[in-house]
Amino acid sequence: MNRPGNRRLRALIVDDEELARRLVREFLAPHEDIEIVGECENGLDAVKQIGELAPDLVFLDIQMPRLTGLEVLELTGRRSGVIFTTAYDEHAIKAFELHAVDYLLKPFSRARFDDALARARTLHVPVAPGVEALVARRGEPIERILIRDREQVHVIAVETVECIEAQGDYLAVLADGRTYLKPQRISEMEEQLDPKSFLRVHRSFIINLAFLQGIDRQGTERHFARLRSGKRVPISRSGYDRLRKMV
Amino acid sequence: MHPLLADVRKLTWYVLAWMLVAAGIAGLLRLAGDAGWAGALAFAMPICLVYAFVVLSSYYICRSLPVAQRRWTKVAAVFGGASLLSALGWLGLGTAWNALGRLGPRAAPLVDMTPAGWILFFSAGFVLYMLALLAHDVLVAFESMQVAVRREAESRVLAREAELQMLRTQINPHFLFNSLNSISALTSFDAGAAREMTVDLAQFFRRTLALADRERVTLEEETELCRHFLAIEQRRFGAKLRAELRIAPEAAACLLPPMTLQPLLENAIKHGIRGLDDGGTIAVDAAARDGWLRVAVVNPVAGEPVPARERGVGLANIRERLAALYGKRARIEWRRTATQFEIEITLPAEKESAP
Repeated sequence: MNRPGNRRLRALIVDDEELARRLVREFLAPHEDIEIVGECENGLDAVKQIGELAPDLVFLDIQMPRLTGLEVLELTGRRSGVIFTTAYDEHAIKAFELHAVDYLLKPFSRARFDDALARARTLHVPVAPGVEALVARRGEPIERILIRDREQVHVIAVETVECIEAQGDYLAVLADGRTYLKPQRISEMEEQLDPKSFLRVHRSFIINLAFLQGIDRQGTERHFARLRSGKRVPISRSGYDRLRKMV
Repeated sequence: MHPLLADVRKLTWYVLAWMLVAAGIAGLLRLAGDAGWAGALAFAMPICLVYAFVVLSSYYICRSLPVAQRRWTKVAAVFGGASLLSALGWLGLGTAWNALGRLGPRAAPLVDMTPAGWILFFSAGFVLYMLALLAHDVLVAFESMQVAVRREAESRVLAREAELQMLRTQINPHFLFNSLNSISALTSFDAGAAREMTVDLAQFFRRTLALADRERVTLEEETELCRHFLAIEQRRFGAKLRAELRIAPEAAACLLPPMTLQPLLENAIKHGIRGLDDGGTIAVDAAARDGWLRVAVVNPVAGEPVPARERGVGLANIRERLAALYGKRARIEWRRTATQFEIEITLPAEKESAP
């Protein structure tokens, strides 16, 4: 049965409602080439299982507790073989349409389900490039930063973030007296944060203006931002100009 | 600006009408033998032309006296006084213009007016201004009536929109479509449950529609609606969702705005129960004591921060509605600890007056 090119597709069902998962199971039953390898009832579990099981197909609900479907993709880096399901989410639907990503609107018919499945199968790797743009969610500032730390996922509210420092390929996010490492470029993070509260003061630093206590001067040219925790962050010349404009 | 001045066609007709008046005055002067046609017309035409515009000022006088809050004595005094002043101006203008005739080719006044003639002339000015005032008064009253009618229609539309808005936010489409999806799933393996859920959903919407256009409902009616809501949600979330409703009998009869408790339960599920692996219990306590109705909802929450955008909308909505109905006498307070969310609404305990 396990002939190359004709092996069974392994599917993961992610939805926090038991009945919704059951419906997907029922609709999958006649498709003998698909094997259900797992079910998750929240986003955290999905992150874990996607990592462990590496399924070919993921049925992913958007509105879930803990982590939304899009946040699951962000954390896992998963881009292909995803079939989104949602009951109603104006934001998500607008994004799907914008990036030409296929999705199932609950409640859906068997015909519609088969249709989406067929498309996901043929597109295989990689699926619509739209998914990448969908996950990056440019435009709207993010409200929480997600950090994956081996088995654990940290969800950090942006208002608790004091500053962010670029360290090689990683960002060090300082929040609530702890430092979290996240693999991301600082320019990308800068784009995602609300420019009214966060400011790039240096090539390697973004600070939260709510935590800014004062600006120290050293010599004639150099400036440092003093933050609430006592941390001092260097300010570049252009960063200083931007900061002066903001405060 | 006066409506006539904004409309060239109407203004032309208006000026022509005044020219007729001028011709009439000239004719009278001619008949009285005070002047020849040329003199009479040269006298009457310019004066009438000026007065035509003076008279338009009556529009502003009428507008300054709102129809709704008038006393006849005041109106009579203002109208009389204004007419008198204008007539005096008209008389002054008449005598001055007439006297200017001496500078003309005939080196004599345009008309030979007798004192009685001047008195008649003055009276004509008075009457013309008074007529203008009365005509304008009718116009202004008509205008304000139209405005009132339009405003009432607008406010009715606004009220209706507010009601629809409330329905739209309360009848959460996410809830509706997810419920339909659950029914769709149930049909193939538990038709009975699918039917029950359909009935609960229908009951919930029927009650929502029935309650939404009433200003206030009893807590008992609101609770009944919530029971259908919870029945639906318990099918969706299974054993994860548990609820304890403790409504004291004396509280059940108290009045509150419709859809006050239901959104609190919806929030408790959305931001609390759904995020917990093992679910939890929503506790609702309602009591009436010392003239106040207290409704408290407590639910467990998970540790993750909730995006601010989602949190506030429902609560702000309830707070606004309570403020509109009760002013400072209503209070809504909430508190989030590490493990639970508590919200409490306090209202004056009012009951439906016995019929």
